[in-house]
Amino acid sequence: MTAVRTVVPLLEARAVSFQRQDEPVFAPLDFRLHEGELALVEGDNGSGKTTLLRMLAGLLHLGAGDLLWRGEALQRDLCAGDILFLGHQLGLKADLSPRENLRVATGLHGTREGMDSASLLAEIGLRGYEDEPVRRLSAGQKKRAALARLAMLPATLWLLDEPYANLDRAGIALVNDMLERHTNGGGAAMVTSHGTVSFHGGEPRRIRMHG
Amino acid sequence: MSRATLTTACAAMLRRDLTLAWRRRGDIAMPVLYALIVTMLFPFALGPEDTLLQRIAGGVVLVTVLLAMLLALDAMFASDIEDGSLEQLVLAPQPLALMLGMKILAHWVTIALPLIVISPLMAALLHLPASVIPVLLLALLLATPLLSLLGAVLVALTVGTRRSGMLLALMLLPLCVPAVIFAAGAVAAAQQGLPWLAPISWLAAALVLAVVLAPLACAAALRIALDS
Repeated sequence: MTAVRTVVPLLEARAVSFQRQDEPVFAPLDFRLHEGELALVEGDNGSGKTTLLRMLAGLLHLGAGDLLWRGEALQRDLCAGDILFLGHQLGLKADLSPRENLRVATGLHGTREGMDSASLLAEIGLRGYEDEPVRRLSAGQKKRAALARLAMLPATLWLLDEPYANLDRAGIALVNDMLERHTNGGGAAMVTSHGTVSFHGGEPRRIRMHG
Repeated sequence: MSRATLTTACAAMLRRDLTLAWRRRGDIAMPVLYALIVTMLFPFALGPEDTLLQRIAGGVVLVTVLLAMLLALDAMFASDIEDGSLEQLVLAPQPLALMLGMKILAHWVTIALPLIVISPLMAALLHLPASVIPVLLLALLLATPLLSLLGAVLVALTVGTRRSGMLLALMLLPLCVPAVIFAAGAVAAAQQGLPWLAPISWLAAALVLAVVLAPLACAAALRIALDS
């Protein structure tokens, strides 16, 4: 039996591009991302990976082309909170502990079903650091605290810019694990990375960027 | 799955900013000490003459509070932009203007409220009659949130520029002129036994306008600042 995909893609890009001072940052892109899919955004330094993710998140305006969310033109106020972005700046307050940072995030976004901050922080490798100010954590631990926020919040699409940076081998496995669980639960994710990514939930879709 | 309601989101923002301010209590004390010291300089410079000090007391307290607030205004959004918290706030499924309103409220509570608390002391240093102090407090209670709101808009507009502190002062101080005129006018009128309700009403009207419009302008300015 041939499985014909009639499902509406979660996110569809049609000839999407972005200009900065009339200079195109990347060539027009077309892609479709379905629920349960992982897309790996590949490209050299300066090829516009971060720009693409920031644009999809809604932090940058859409340069040209069309973005469709569940088959309809993407409207920010309709999908607010459904798209999470994790960039180089982690969005953690240095004077607050990982637990307090999570509490702020859940206060703004709500909580994913069946999630509880204490067990999540322990699982993510921050046991014993829950109440330590984030400023005293190492770069890798800060990254883990930011990843805990991703896991804690209800969202369908994750946009992760270099999620593997600063992480040790166990941390990389943790990100892969989180991505697998997220996609298995019907979520989707777009990930940029320079390094080789061994995603164990099958071969991810690849989006190639050209500057 | 539980979505966040508007009330919990507002509470989370307010609690976050107040906790952060409490973790850096020393920073709260700075504007207060600055205002006290500046007020103390006036009797030294002008001489301890009662009538002269009394006449300028209202104006000096108001201008000093304004300058002290200006010192702390710069930092309103700086750290949130630096650590990416603002990006996360923009992506949250909450009205950005309201969340920024909560930030401005927290900023007012941590910066302006301590200044209002010590303003009777500042007034006493300048021999302002005790009967006028309630009017001074009322004027400050209306004028300081107005400054916080106007300041927040300008901070949001100058967020990407270098040396924004000086630029901010140059832009904000002219805008404060009406607030200073009405607040000082109310205090002066009370001192002369004249009705002071009219200037206070003007301040209140301006505050209502600013409460509605300033957070919207802030949100628009910060979105533009991020979109570059």
